[in-house]
Amino acid sequence: MAMNYPVWDVTFGAGLLMAMVAILHVFVSHFAVGGGLFLVITERRARRNNDVALLGWLKAHTRFFVLVTVVFGAISGVGIWFTIGLIAPTATSNLIHAYVWGWAIEWVFFFVEITAALLYYYGWEKLEARLHEWYGWVYFIAAFASMVIINGIITFMLTSGTWTKNHQFWKGFFNPTCFPSLAFRFAVALALAGIYALITASLQKDALLKGRLVRWSVCWIAPSLAVLPALGWWYIHKIPPEVWADVRGPMPTATHFALFAVVLLAVTFTLTLLALVKPGRMPLALSLLVALVALGAMGSFEFVREAIRKPYVIANYLYANSLYSDTTPGDGGFSVDEVNTAGIVHSAKWIANRDLTKKDQAAVGREIFRLECESCHTTDAYRGVKHYLALRQWDRTKIQAMLSVLGLMHNGAMPPFAGTDAESRALAAFLSTLHPVSATATAAASDGQTVFDQNCSMCHRISPGDTLFTKLPKDPNAASKALTDLPSLFPAMPDLKLPDRQRLALVSWVNTQRKARGFGISAKGAN
Amino acid sequence: MNPLNVIPTIDPNPLPAPYWVFKVLLVVTFFLHIVAMNFLLGGGVLALVARWGSRKPDLGNRMFLDLARKLPVLVPATVTLGIAPLLFLQVLYGQFFYTSSIVMAWPWFLVLVMLTIAYYGFYYASFRSGRQIGRAGAVMVLSVLLILLIGFLFSNNLTLSQSPSRWAGKYFADTAGWNLNLTEPTLIPRFLHFFLAAVAVGGLFLVFLAQARWTADNAYARQLLRFGGKAFMYATMAQVVVGIILLASLPRALRMLFMGDNTAASILFVIGVLGAIGAIFLMSDALRKENVRMAALYVPAVLAVVIACMSIMRDILRDAYLKPFFHPAQFAIHTQWSVLPLFLLLFLGGVILWFVMLKRYGLLTGKRAAT
Ligand code: HEC
Ligand code: HEC
Repeated sequence: MAMNYPVWDVTFGAGLLMAMVAILHVFVSHFAVGGGLFLVITERRARRNNDVALLGWLKAHTRFFVLVTVVFGAISGVGIWFTIGLIAPTATSNLIHAYVWGWAIEWVFFFVEITAALLYYYGWEKLEARLHEWYGWVYFIAAFASMVIINGIITFMLTSGTWTKNHQFWKGFFNPTCFPSLAFRFAVALALAGIYALITASLQKDALLKGRLVRWSVCWIAPSLAVLPALGWWYIHKIPPEVWADVRGPMPTATHFALFAVVLLAVTFTLTLLALVKPGRMPLALSLLVALVALGAMGSFEFVREAIRKPYVIANYLYANSLYSDTTPGDGGFSVDEVNTAGIVHSAKWIANRDLTKKDQAAVGREIFRLECESCHTTDAYRGVKHYLALRQWDRTKIQAMLSVLGLMHNGAMPPFAGTDAESRALAAFLSTLHPVSATATAAASDGQTVFDQNCSMCHRISPGDTLFTKLPKDPNAASKALTDLPSLFPAMPDLKLPDRQRLALVSWVNTQRKARGFGISAKGAN
Repeated sequence: MNPLNVIPTIDPNPLPAPYWVFKVLLVVTFFLHIVAMNFLLGGGVLALVARWGSRKPDLGNRMFLDLARKLPVLVPATVTLGIAPLLFLQVLYGQFFYTSSIVMAWPWFLVLVMLTIAYYGFYYASFRSGRQIGRAGAVMVLSVLLILLIGFLFSNNLTLSQSPSRWAGKYFADTAGWNLNLTEPTLIPRFLHFFLAAVAVGGLFLVFLAQARWTADNAYARQLLRFGGKAFMYATMAQVVVGIILLASLPRALRMLFMGDNTAASILFVIGVLGAIGAIFLMSDALRKENVRMAALYVPAVLAVVIACMSIMRDILRDAYLKPFFHPAQFAIHTQWSVLPLFLLLFLGGVILWFVMLKRYGLLTGKRAAT
């Protein structure tokens, strides 16, 4: 968030709140799309076979559908608007101005969708079969159309395509991930139709009917989940490789959640097949478990999407902390470069403490933290910086050195720090109060692994391709000497003053790793 | 702190259509939203009054159940019709609206939670209302109270969005956003103004129900007409008083807009007041003659004009509040010709389809009873 708007201080993490609202909403809104098709197709089937029992269940299922989608789905959808407006006002403002006609079109579909859903629901008792099904189809088509619109805009945020150059509506809308994401989400929606149907199916007393319902639901779930890997592959291939690289390790949270998503998806699939063992006796608990695991899988997927989009909210245009990545006319002075020159305390509108000359620098630092970091971090809860600082044992000097290279850490998960040197000093002063570390303590670590973890691991990984391992000279003295001046090795590296002892420990640990893991060493670097 | 220093700059994207297009859409969709909201809140309040305020419990309970069955549909109607003005409000006044929302962030966020609970409450009451009321009454009280509270929070936020000079003080006193705009002098009269309008329109809702049942169950329908018609009259009479208080609570310069300084505003004001008074007389006449047609057709027609005037006046008032800070000329405009026609087309198609849906259901001809 930024300096243009005030920042809402959410103690447990604004990002976490956003994630909760969004994940609950998508879990229901995808059901709203897939479930619509489920209703009409099941109704057709039941009527064709004169299947009174199935029709009776479907009627009850419609009520459940309405209570979940029309009530919770609709309100949580508005909830997303409320929440992003509170947490990311600059992004919201951009999305509204660039895409208001998209949202307005979506609203038309939404309006039709809600009306059709209610008439379909109330119409069970009143309408003749064909007409009733007609409302079902109107509902489904409108719901799908609104998904098409939202999907276009959400994918635009991840892969903004050529929009950043031409600012054309359709160029951003039909961005590289638009179609794969749509196909992916539609498959998810169909699976969710079956997953929710399992819940009401499991409440049936009649074992025969229940067995049929469970099998019918699985027909929706299993094939949809089975095609997800292929659609996922297509999706991933449209994401720029350097962005997708986040989940390969450099960004731990994204990596973990990508793994969760895959594992939970597989568990959902397995549990669904399990339901087929004795479909007539499937307990409610199992159906709820399937739903819960699916919620976990879907939540993880959305989390990964949001995580790899970092540092941006709108790719290559706007950072999560509401600073524009490049200076654009009309940005109000809120691009990284402009803030670097003018300084935060001069640019920010919403800062109470602007006086950098005072003794209490940390107080200004606290404000800077709120303005530049709180969109993704808290001090000690969600992505709590205190926790990181305790892990890394950085003293104030090292924090400041690290601030200057923030943008490089974890494969560029963060925007660069924007502001003057005095401001970065103030921020470092504040951060060092969160977990005070003395200069002796920061230099205390004596084994190479710890030195690496504390000083290098946010940018370098223990892997054969990493430049630290390929380029650092093998000869301990030469290597140690080289490490006295990191920026001369690579200009974007932090100027860390590691003591001799730590440098030597690090170098020898690096060499052990090379041997133990058989890392190749490039001809140029090693000697 | 000088308010000009804290008002956010708008983002670099130009408006994708001329200013007036959004303005018209904002005012028109706001009008629709407020009417739906009035039916919901007014219907809810009158259901409670019928349940506990009626001297004939059987009749009161019947009206309660009758209303309770209708209310769940009015929630999505209010919400869906609310999304559009919320969207267009952000297009034009985002700088003000996002900021005031953040200043009172938690209460604003909790609107969602309250709305969800209220909504499920309305459904609960409607399912329970087969014959026995049971807990439906208590649940309905909760839902109606929540809707009232939500309305109060909307009044807080929208008045706060027009008062940039209050933002910084409140925000820096509590950056977690536990703020309201209680010191605003117009807050309470403004809220009451909306509340009474809702009760009046809720009365009309009963009148519509009376009309639908006029031949099938004339005795009951006449009771509905009496109850609804009176509610409308009393609420509108009270409205005249509250309206004067609201006007008096406005800063002098803004008050004068409606008293001659701004011709359009003054004309709308006069039409609004005369319309409201005229509607009271019309209704009283209709009740005396037990003329349901008059009550269900002419009164709403007059009232629609009144609400339309009020919606426009509200917009004029907003712009007057924001005059020192907001100039339509600040927007760069670059009409998105590749999308706008598509929207208009789909909008038109959507409206037609919507009527077709209602017609095929029998809701327009009244052949099938409304649900
Ligand atoms: C776009 C969101 C975002 C913003 C803004 C942001 N960070 Fe981060 N930051 C992250 C993420 C994501 C991680 C951790 C990556 C992971 O664990 O997956 C992180 C990690 C860190 C770490 C730990 C690095 C390590 O591994 O030791 C520190 C320290 C940190 N951030 C400080 C800051 C500060 C100070 C600011 C403000 C100047 C800031 N961040 C702004 C997203 C952000
Ligand atoms: C803020 C991120 C960051 C930190 C912290 C960091 N580095 Fe680097 N380092 C880089 C980047 C970026 C490169 C260039 C990467 C590339 O070319 O692939 C690099 C390159 C290197 C290279 C190769 C230089 C060459 O000859 O091309 C070595 C060796 C190296 N780092 C060692 C270290 C060591 C040891 C540490 C810990 C004490 C460390 N780095 C900490 C970001 C960092």
